[in-house]
Amino acid sequence: MVRPGWRGYLAVGLVLAGVWWLGQGAYIQVKAWLAQYLLQRAWEETLDGGGGISPWPWADTWPIARIQVDRLGVDQIVLEGASGRSLAFGPGHISGTAKPGAGGNSAISGHRDTHFRFLRELQDGDEIRLILPAGTELRYRVDQRGVYEQEDVWLLDRGERSLTLITCYPFDALVPGGSERFVVSARPVIL
Amino acid sequence: MFATRPTNSLWKDIAFTSLVSFGSGLLAALILGAVVLLLTSTVARADLTRSEEGTGPVGIDQVSRGSLLLKLASGGVSVDAPALTTDVEMEISGLLARVSVRQRFSNPGKQWVEGIYVFPLPQDAAVDRMRLRIGERIIVGEIQERGQAEKTYARARKEGRKASLLSQERPNIFTTAVANIGPGEEVQVELEYQQALRYDQGRFAVRFPLVVAPRFIPGTPLSGEEEVEFAATGWSHNTARVKDASRITPPVADPSGPQINPVTILVNLDAGFPLARLESRYHPVDILADENGRHQIRLQQAPVSMDRDFELSWVPDTGLAPQAALFTERWEAADYALLMLMPPTSGADSAPAPAREVIFVIDTSGSMHGASIKQARASLQLALSRLRPDDRFNVIQFNNQTHALFGQAVPAVSINIQRAVRYVGDLEAEGGTEMLPALERALSGEQPVGFLRQIVFLTDGSVGNETELFALIQQRLGSSRLFTIGIGSAPNSYFMTRAARFGRGSFTYIGTTAEVKQKMEGLFRKLESPVFTDIDIVWPDAVEVEMYPRKVPDLYLGEAVILTARLPQGVDQLEVRGERNGQPWQQRVDLRGGGASAGVHVYWARRKIAELMDQRATGETEEKVRAAVLEVALGHQLVSRYTSLVAVDRTPIRPEDEALDTKPVATNLPHGWSADRVFGVLPRTATSSHLQLLLGLMALSSGAWLRRLAKRIRRYG
Repeated sequence: MVRPGWRGYLAVGLVLAGVWWLGQGAYIQVKAWLAQYLLQRAWEETLDGGGGISPWPWADTWPIARIQVDRLGVDQIVLEGASGRSLAFGPGHISGTAKPGAGGNSAISGHRDTHFRFLRELQDGDEIRLILPAGTELRYRVDQRGVYEQEDVWLLDRGERSLTLITCYPFDALVPGGSERFVVSARPVIL
Repeated sequence: MFATRPTNSLWKDIAFTSLVSFGSGLLAALILGAVVLLLTSTVARADLTRSEEGTGPVGIDQVSRGSLLLKLASGGVSVDAPALTTDVEMEISGLLARVSVRQRFSNPGKQWVEGIYVFPLPQDAAVDRMRLRIGERIIVGEIQERGQAEKTYARARKEGRKASLLSQERPNIFTTAVANIGPGEEVQVELEYQQALRYDQGRFAVRFPLVVAPRFIPGTPLSGEEEVEFAATGWSHNTARVKDASRITPPVADPSGPQINPVTILVNLDAGFPLARLESRYHPVDILADENGRHQIRLQQAPVSMDRDFELSWVPDTGLAPQAALFTERWEAADYALLMLMPPTSGADSAPAPAREVIFVIDTSGSMHGASIKQARASLQLALSRLRPDDRFNVIQFNNQTHALFGQAVPAVSINIQRAVRYVGDLEAEGGTEMLPALERALSGEQPVGFLRQIVFLTDGSVGNETELFALIQQRLGSSRLFTIGIGSAPNSYFMTRAARFGRGSFTYIGTTAEVKQKMEGLFRKLESPVFTDIDIVWPDAVEVEMYPRKVPDLYLGEAVILTARLPQGVDQLEVRGERNGQPWQQRVDLRGGGASAGVHVYWARRKIAELMDQRATGETEEKVRAAVLEVALGHQLVSRYTSLVAVDRTPIRPEDEALDTKPVATNLPHGWSADRVFGVLPRTATSSHLQLLLGLMALSSGAWLRRLAKRIRRYG
């Protein structure tokens, strides 16, 4: 048996690193996708009348709404809180902004490369539906899309009843941590 | 057969190694190239679809185009945009400032334009008047429900009449829109607001938020000509664009350059007492004093730094400061009073603050993971180091479970402190947020005699059962005081501000680890000084009084009681009671001798609106709040989130065949806002997933390549 030589070691090292990176990258995607399925159960329970049902015992969050965009086939469960932890599982309602359905602006943010990737496809006039734990259905219509800086926190605290969806921008930047945000605003549809 | 090759393969080795490096480099470059190509093509496609849609008035590409044009504008290139000048005049008398702001829009261009200007005003400004001045004519603005006002304005705009609309975007951000400014014409919008002076540490102050040389920006019109529902599309874009603009506008750094849009400020100050000091901290001013003790302050026209608020502050001559000040106004069959009361400063001040029992509660739930828990640890360790040996303390952490370091509060001797510092250093964020048991634990326990009991609560506040928590705080508070410290980039500041209010303490926001020291110092100063507690305002029996704030907070070093009330006519006295360092203290206030002052009712109404708006966060429905705010705002003629001032000229003046361009005006907002930045930044929402996938692919393929190569070399070698 011949010794592998440094090239061999390097090759093995590279392959291992490659597998690890692939695994990490895929894990994020799979977790994001899988978590939504796991959340379904918690959502069903929430619909049945319990509020604040955690999907698994050690979870620090709970479903508060379901967001749907028919045109794009989007159907996701929104969690409470927009901390890094909860965003891995689903879009998160930013604490401190109005609860969906209450007065004021409700802001929801999600990862640009998983759940909220669909924001880039949204167009003005698209209808967004929010289903609340009580079963109530709220309908919004997209009326603005734009790119803002992360300091533009006034976006969270503006005017009357509206829905604001926030994700990072640009959508295809490789390195996370950019300072720009893509923001979609929608106004309630009055029936 | 290969083995027969020459064994000296040094050259081959070198050649192969070079080839390998070149090859893997090429591969990496190819992959990267392909990725870049892919990305740019999708971006290009996205842009294309966007501009084809044409539905959104301002697309992403247009935002950047707008900023480019702004750059030109600020670079001195002549643009066909109107100009704005602002004159500010303040009348200060007693505790109130009446401020009039005159915005002059002039249009040097050849087209009809609409000017939209977003500008900051003080947070508590009660805007109650707007006049539109066209040449010699004055049209007085009328307060209307916001939607109605927007419609009125839009109609006038379309019909070619002159009109102006003043709306409140956020408590400190307002918008003026002026329609149909003719070529070469000047139109003035005058607005007036009322504001209470600030008093802290023996110093009175008034602020006016200044903007960096505001100027009009040309840009693509915001909405189509026939778009009547401009309110639905317009406002946020304006701010978006303006905000964007402020980012790229170079600061007014070149004093030799002409000032494009000057702001003038004139203050008439009637303090009511001799002054020891009068200063404008950030801007050079000229001061003129007359024999009656009145002062006139004027902003020097020399270049001034426009990136900060204008702040004028004054200090009464020693011993001549009033101990109480009262202003009253009779308005629509009710009396309105504004009262300021300074607690006595003698004696107790020199006495050291009593020993404290401090309960630190720290949130270690999963949402605190990362930078948040680091900030929390740093803050807590700093706080521990400030305790004195005769203080007592305990540390409680909670996630889904609550755990206390000590069974009960222990003396802050060094052995205990060391143990606590270690304990805090080891805290990790994991699990759920069960705040109730932790709060319950902190609020229970006997109040040790002779100790000031303070609960310092560090959290990001991501909880859903706020109401329950507030109820608990209210029931169990006793003589404890709750100080909340908001941690992380997006803490639930509504929860924490309100929890601190119910807990009769204060809220501190720490956004970055770098801020920990400075912010905690501020909090310590409060925690460690003598304090007036349990302040109670006692009105004569059976008098119906609506007072704001509803409950007077504790007073820390150098603060004064400031309250405003609406009372039936003829109430002539009240009593203020409280405790200072455990000693009862009371003061009777005669309501008859107060100076009459116009505008007290406006101030009262503004406070009431603020209080009502706060209720939204505690679960009140918007409909109810809106109805209540509308009643106050319409009754007292105030601009609010639901009411706007609108003025419309009678005769149409823009010829029907002339188009109207919309020109938003840029302004720099950051300084007025920094105080409001309780949210930190918008959440970060990108993962490294794509980067990792790409790196993984690259590493894998170059590894495989290398391995094959290594085999070949082995065979050749």
